[in-house]
Amino acid sequence: MATTDESDVDSKPEPDQIGLGELLAPVRNQLILACVFQAIGALAGIVPFIAVAEIGRELLGDRDSDRLWTIVIIAAVALAIRVGCFFAAAGITHFADNDFQLAIRRRIAEHLGRLPLGWFDDNDAGTVNKLIADDVSAMHPIVGHTFIDITNTVVTAIASIIYLFVIDWRMALVVLIPFVAGIFLYAKQMSGYGEKMEQYNQSMADVNTASIEFVQGIAVVKTFGQTGRAHKRYKTSTDSFIQSFWDWVKGLLNIASLSDIVLSPLTTLTLVLGASAWFIDRGTLEVADILVFLSLGLALTMPILTLGFAGNEVQLASAAAGRIGRALAEKPLPQPTDPQIPLEDDLRLEGVTFSYGPDEPVVLDDVSLAFEPDTVTAIVGASGSGKTTLGRLLCRFWDPTGGSIRLGGVDLRDIESEELYARVGFVFQNVQLIRGTIADNIRLADPEAPQSQVEAAAQAAQIHDRVMELPDGYESVIGENVSLSGGERQRLSIARALIANPPILVLDEATAFADPESEAAVQDALSTLVAGRTLIVIAHRLSTITQADQIVVLDEGRVVETGTHADLLDAGGTYQKQWAADARVTAEVG
Amino acid sequence: MLRSLAKLVADPTAFRSSVAGMVATAILQGIGFVLLVPVLRALIEGDNGRAAWWLLAMVLALVVFGVLRHVSQIQAYHTAIDGGRALFGRLGDKVSTLPLGWFDSDRVGSLSRITGQGVIDVMGVPAHLLRAVVTAVTTPVVVAVIMFAFDWRLALAMVLALPVAWVVLRWASNRTQRSEHRTHHASAEATSRVVEFAQTQAVLRSCGRTVDGFAMLDDALVERRNAGRKLMVNAVPGLIGFSAVVQAAFVALLVVGTTIAVGGSVDVPELVAVLILAVRFIEPLILASDISGAIKIAENAIDRAETLLETPVLPEPASSTRPTDASVTFDDVSFGYGDDIVIDEASFTIAAGSMVALVGPSGSGKTTIARLIARFWDTDEGTVAIGGVDVRDMSTTDLMEQVSIVFQDNYLFAGTIEENVLLARPEALRADLERVAALTRLDEVIERLPAGWESPVGDGGTRLSGGERQRVTLARALLKDAPVILLDEATAAIDPANEQVIQAAIDSLRGKHTLIVIAHRLSTIASADEILVLDDGRIAERGGHEDLLAAGGRYASFWHQRDRASGWRLERSGAMP
Repeated sequence: MATTDESDVDSKPEPDQIGLGELLAPVRNQLILACVFQAIGALAGIVPFIAVAEIGRELLGDRDSDRLWTIVIIAAVALAIRVGCFFAAAGITHFADNDFQLAIRRRIAEHLGRLPLGWFDDNDAGTVNKLIADDVSAMHPIVGHTFIDITNTVVTAIASIIYLFVIDWRMALVVLIPFVAGIFLYAKQMSGYGEKMEQYNQSMADVNTASIEFVQGIAVVKTFGQTGRAHKRYKTSTDSFIQSFWDWVKGLLNIASLSDIVLSPLTTLTLVLGASAWFIDRGTLEVADILVFLSLGLALTMPILTLGFAGNEVQLASAAAGRIGRALAEKPLPQPTDPQIPLEDDLRLEGVTFSYGPDEPVVLDDVSLAFEPDTVTAIVGASGSGKTTLGRLLCRFWDPTGGSIRLGGVDLRDIESEELYARVGFVFQNVQLIRGTIADNIRLADPEAPQSQVEAAAQAAQIHDRVMELPDGYESVIGENVSLSGGERQRLSIARALIANPPILVLDEATAFADPESEAAVQDALSTLVAGRTLIVIAHRLSTITQADQIVVLDEGRVVETGTHADLLDAGGTYQKQWAADARVTAEVG
Repeated sequence: MLRSLAKLVADPTAFRSSVAGMVATAILQGIGFVLLVPVLRALIEGDNGRAAWWLLAMVLALVVFGVLRHVSQIQAYHTAIDGGRALFGRLGDKVSTLPLGWFDSDRVGSLSRITGQGVIDVMGVPAHLLRAVVTAVTTPVVVAVIMFAFDWRLALAMVLALPVAWVVLRWASNRTQRSEHRTHHASAEATSRVVEFAQTQAVLRSCGRTVDGFAMLDDALVERRNAGRKLMVNAVPGLIGFSAVVQAAFVALLVVGTTIAVGGSVDVPELVAVLILAVRFIEPLILASDISGAIKIAENAIDRAETLLETPVLPEPASSTRPTDASVTFDDVSFGYGDDIVIDEASFTIAAGSMVALVGPSGSGKTTIARLIARFWDTDEGTVAIGGVDVRDMSTTDLMEQVSIVFQDNYLFAGTIEENVLLARPEALRADLERVAALTRLDEVIERLPAGWESPVGDGGTRLSGGERQRVTLARALLKDAPVILLDEATAAIDPANEQVIQAAIDSLRGKHTLIVIAHRLSTIASADEILVLDDGRIAERGGHEDLLAAGGRYASFWHQRDRASGWRLERSGAMP
């Protein structure tokens, strides 16, 4: 993970976030069009308010029925235009948002697919889901509402104010009093908002962490009779959340309540009537002229209230957009600019050094190894010796920090993913199945593989008989109408590897106890994988790999011994000691 | 919703009074609106003195409205804050009393949402949402009632729109609800594909499924888009209908008013006032429909909190009986999850201080037996007893003192290694810590880490490797020193080093504790005092290793198969398909 505090010497600054503008680029034209419709609708929306005032004026004056009906018709038409334009605007933004969500989800998924696999260690499935599902949905207010809402408020306010000033500037100023006061109070509430919001979010995150820990750990603490302790931690964090939230809003309560009262229609109504009465009493205003201030003046504060309600959603939406922007700015695993195709299947490590991050310890230290075609190599070593990491580098889950890994003489970084994975496959201990039919899972690497090939692979992997016992056979959907045991899942992943049929296979042998009952079947299946390819086994039990062509012993990231089983026993080094220790454990089986 | 909410808030009386305040505020606002009529009439008739008096009344209404609104709003905030604090507390109390078996992984995910964000969502109701709803209903009713007193024809024209708008709103929401089913389904499907996409990333890449896209994810995303589109298409007539009704009602009012006015049978000030107020009349409704989404979310949060608080807990005995020894007895025990019978009339006794291995295929009920001893659930039939005492006759605290559990999914808390081990016995001496650390080879881990015992384990123990985590949980369980120890070997022994850890732990416990092991290692099984062979929830065989082997039954065939597996070597034997 690239951390922001690391001061990079690199001169050209990489943006650490894709901005909202760029995210929204695909829907920019639709948003502009929607805003135009919304502006027209907002202008038309003012007309009925004016019409009401004009009807009043006519009734107070000569009551010309023709003119009255003309005004009614104009009002009705304006309303129709308003409704039509608003629907057009909302329709455009919502359909745009619908397409936008699909496009951005695809973009995120595609981008994540290019990131180093290590990214998925730091960000679990929940985070990815939040990004692709929740955060994209949370952006809805921005695309669907914010722009047209703002257009509506601004156009309505400006047009109304201009109209009112034309009728009577003094009254217009009166109408503006609550409007301006409301905006002033709102700004006051918002001062220091960002910093406070940051604190709030932090405090909220603490509550969520404490909640998750409390809930996940409750079973454990209960069994240790320590329920009170975990409960206390939850209580402390929720209490401090409530307290800090209260400290924040306490000071704002009066001002918030005041601004609500100032913006309430009753305030405007009273103010306008009072001022009207004053001016009428002075003889400087006609009764007929006050009506438009009553109707249109009241309409002025309403959009501010609506915007206030939307404010919180927009906050959340912006935060979501920020997270999406940052994820999209993560640097992908570099793809070769001048891709090459390896012609041979020999795999070599040359002075490979690796650590998981600039501040992390070195996991592999100057490792040089050769895996010749059609040989079996076992990598052994204590846990933490780097053997699992080595296996993963061979599959290019990460790139080495120093040195190179070459396949047929070509650096892995110069091979396109497709070409690489056609040659290097792996079977790891945590089997990853997708929720699809058994056949789909087996033919994942080659969706075009015929049924006969799928069944042959399943047979070789010792899983065919089990599949045939299922009511739907190969069409059974994993995770829906069939659940497989650990050993069965492993055999399925072996069948999958047989279909992919890579000339080089990395195998993590830590199958023990995933499903003891079918261990023998898993082992028989594994044996079928060995034939006719280069096999690299990450071995956990020395007893299983005594026949390997080459055994590599790792210790703290360095290669300390290589040779055959017999060689290494003779050498009397690390391997020999481990072999002796294991033999003691095994001997106790009796 | 109000009734549920009143149950959830801390002080129902304060809550009710703040609701009453909101209603009163809305009524005053309605009265203030209607005062427009007399003021306008006085101004039109040129009686400025009378206008001043009515204006005074209006200012008075405004002042009372303002004070009431302020007081009730402050009270509402207090209700929300106190309610939130109390709800956090009650949920916390509830979670700590739920039966252990209740916490499966599905529930844990949604539960932490209820106890976190969910409370905030509930708090939003008294603080903000409620007033909008109350105002939307009350103010129009007040205005309408008073308008009837002035001119029933205008009032009727104004009110008629309400039921029509309501009917259209219902029709519209029914329409959208029908397609919501599809969007729910589509978004759930997309979510599960996204999670899968993240979890199976390594395999997807190696199979080339990220290069041209993972079709299953893309299909799910496209379906989600299509379902959303369909929902919108279905919602449009309803929304247009609602809008049209609202606007048509306004036009109708204009038409009725103008018709009456042209006929000369209406009071002009009243008509003008009605026309001006008509806009106010509809607006709260629109506002309320704007916040209906937030209300829906809050309603769900309230429902979930209520459901959680109503979840039954395992009954605690009035007085707790303490067991006399560490024997474990199952007497005719049957248990199932729903209709799925897991334990079927099991009866056996495990003598105090003996070691028993539970053996059987996955799904045979091994784990469930261990969990019933720790009272994760109560049995459906029969009794589980420790030292002759039914586990239901012991308080949770007493029962938990009797058993120590090392299961597969043991959780570590964000904190140091020491804190996590000490959890088992906070008053333990340094010497005890060192002893269990040596026994479980946790000392090696501590030596390797720069901060030693003080090394942080990360959230849920993520900073430690699987093997290291296991040593911490094992050390913790040993430190507890309970008479009965339940041990699941399943995750143990992925390499010889960890196998030795388990072996050492078992050796040190034998004879002093009753050991019940869900056993996988052949050495554990063979050395057990007794082996219980489970099959489909029944005890299929029981006895010592030699006896069972000699019997040539299920155990014997299991043993031979495992024995063959343990001698396996990786060789070039198979042929390519």
